Amino acid sequence: MATKKVLVADDEVHIIHVVAIKLRNNGYEVITADNGAEAFALACEEKPDIVVTDYQMPRMTGLELVERLRQCEQTKDVPVIMLTARNFAISQQQQEELQISECISKPFSPKELLGNIEDVLHQQAVNQAI
Amino acid sequence: MKLGRNLYAIVTGIVAFSLLAAGLAECQQSGIAAAWQNGRGALRIITYYAGAVGVIWLGWCWVRLARAITSIARRLRTEQAPHFESEANPVINELTGAINYCLEGDSKLIGQLQEQVKDLQIQTQLSERQKRNTEAIIYSLRDAVIVVDEFDRLLMANEAAGRLFNFDFKSARHKAVGELIDASKSEFVDLMRQSRQSKVEAKRCQLEFTDEAGPKTFDCIVSCVHDQNQAVCGLVAVLHDVTREKEISRMKNDFVSHVSHELKTPLASITAYSEMLVDGEADDDQTRKEFYSVIQNQATRLNRLIEDILNISRIESGLTKIEKKPVSLTILIEEQLQMIRNYAEEKNIEVVTQKPIVYDQVYADKDMISQVIVNLLSNAVKYTPSGGTVKVEIVVDEIARVAQVTVTDTGVGIPRDEIEHVFDKFYRVGANKSQAKGTGLGLNLVKQIIEKVHGGRVFVVSEPGVGSTFGFEVPLATRGAVKVV
Repeated sequence: MATKKVLVADDEVHIIHVVAIKLRNNGYEVITADNGAEAFALACEEKPDIVVTDYQMPRMTGLELVERLRQCEQTKDVPVIMLTARNFAISQQQQEELQISECISKPFSPKELLGNIEDVLHQQAVNQAI
Repeated sequence: MKLGRNLYAIVTGIVAFSLLAAGLAECQQSGIAAAWQNGRGALRIITYYAGAVGVIWLGWCWVRLARAITSIARRLRTEQAPHFESEANPVINELTGAINYCLEGDSKLIGQLQEQVKDLQIQTQLSERQKRNTEAIIYSLRDAVIVVDEFDRLLMANEAAGRLFNFDFKSARHKAVGELIDASKSEFVDLMRQSRQSKVEAKRCQLEFTDEAGPKTFDCIVSCVHDQNQAVCGLVAVLHDVTREKEISRMKNDFVSHVSHELKTPLASITAYSEMLVDGEADDDQTRKEFYSVIQNQATRLNRLIEDILNISRIESGLTKIEKKPVSLTILIEEQLQMIRNYAEEKNIEVVTQKPIVYDQVYADKDMISQVIVNLLSNAVKYTPSGGTVKVEIVVDEIARVAQVTVTDTGVGIPRDEIEHVFDKFYRVGANKSQAKGTGLGLNLVKQIIEKVHGGRVFVVSEPGVGSTFGFEVPLATRGAVKVV
């Protein structure tokens, strides 16, 4: 099975670091960005299999990033997991409209995040097979 | 009455005199002896005299009765107790007794009516007073109050209502509210219509109107006024401006949201790194050390954040203990520079100070002003690239009796559109956020301490790419207070 590529976007360097270690230890390739604009550019260039992004970031928020990803032909179908320290920041409607696979509240468990990434990628593989 | 009585006496006199004259004429005509012998003649004479006596008696009785009636009328007119003393004559007594009986009944009724009239007058006065009180209350209310009748015509409105709906009450009275109220506020007219139709006691909702000052939110209550048949005979509407309350509520929610975000961010790192350590994801000692260090730093950050929030909250609520005394700004700045110098040296930043020779004592809380100075100095060093300079100056204005402290750096600067927000809670300049860690509360704490506790002012001048000058101004202590702390 080919190594899956994960784009992690967060303005908190410690969060990027810990998520990257967890994913790399479990066989994923990780690319990182510390703001929304950089994350979008990287997503277009690197075409990751999944994006894990923070909700609140400088230059472009997590929501704006997902909107841009959905508008771009190359990234319109990429699954997204959103991390947020603001509960209820994203409505159910927004989540469905922007096809955000999961919303995870901070503080979060890296183990659970890994489990979510695996589930989302598995679901995507099933959908593609169908 | 008197004229009638006299006229009657004269007529009675004439009739009596005529009868007596007729009796005498009868006697003279046939002689008394002959008249007595002739039974019919005697009867006529007796009849004439008896008639004369009877007419005189009746006349006398009538005069007495007339007097009694006159007296009754007089007493009634003068509102005296209507009781009449009877005369010796039993007929008169009977008559006056009957009249008194009737009049006593009437007088009770009149008395009751008079009392009722008085009660009604008092009640009317009280109602008038109550009406004036209610009007005074309604007119002095800051809430807009509108009262309409069963046909939606304006009965009463206070000044606030006039201002809100742009009408003058005196000229608008009795006009239909639908015509008075602008189409942009038709929601209110609709609400009144709905209230009338639904007949419920009170209908409440929030309405938003926009005027020159911007959008305003009103908490609107419309109550139905019912008549004795429970039909709606009017409506009372009260509109309370809740724009400020809504704004405060929004600010409170924003604050809670910011606080929760700021607290959760370091907590997220602590949780994630500790879980990684527990799960044995840190392979070697160096990684483990690194993880411990992150946990420690994030815990410190969390503590600093909580302290800052509590300090701001205490100052805002006026609960903080303030101990003001004369302190020298030069000494305070020197103390804080000792703490910051190592950090500046690590970053290869030169710190320059300019001390005044003149009197620089300010009347201040030493710990709080120290906190202000250290916040400004650490910010300056944090956002200045290696090789830069941080300059601290104290300027004393003896005429204005103020001391000014400025901290100037050669740092990244602040974009013009963001400069007005730098003292806001949790505000961090977007472009500089990645340059250094911060809670977004340090400068707000500076502002609170200087402006709220010391009655001074804070200011900032900045140019992106050149640097920034942050400063504050506080009143000088009086010269009598010479003890330097």
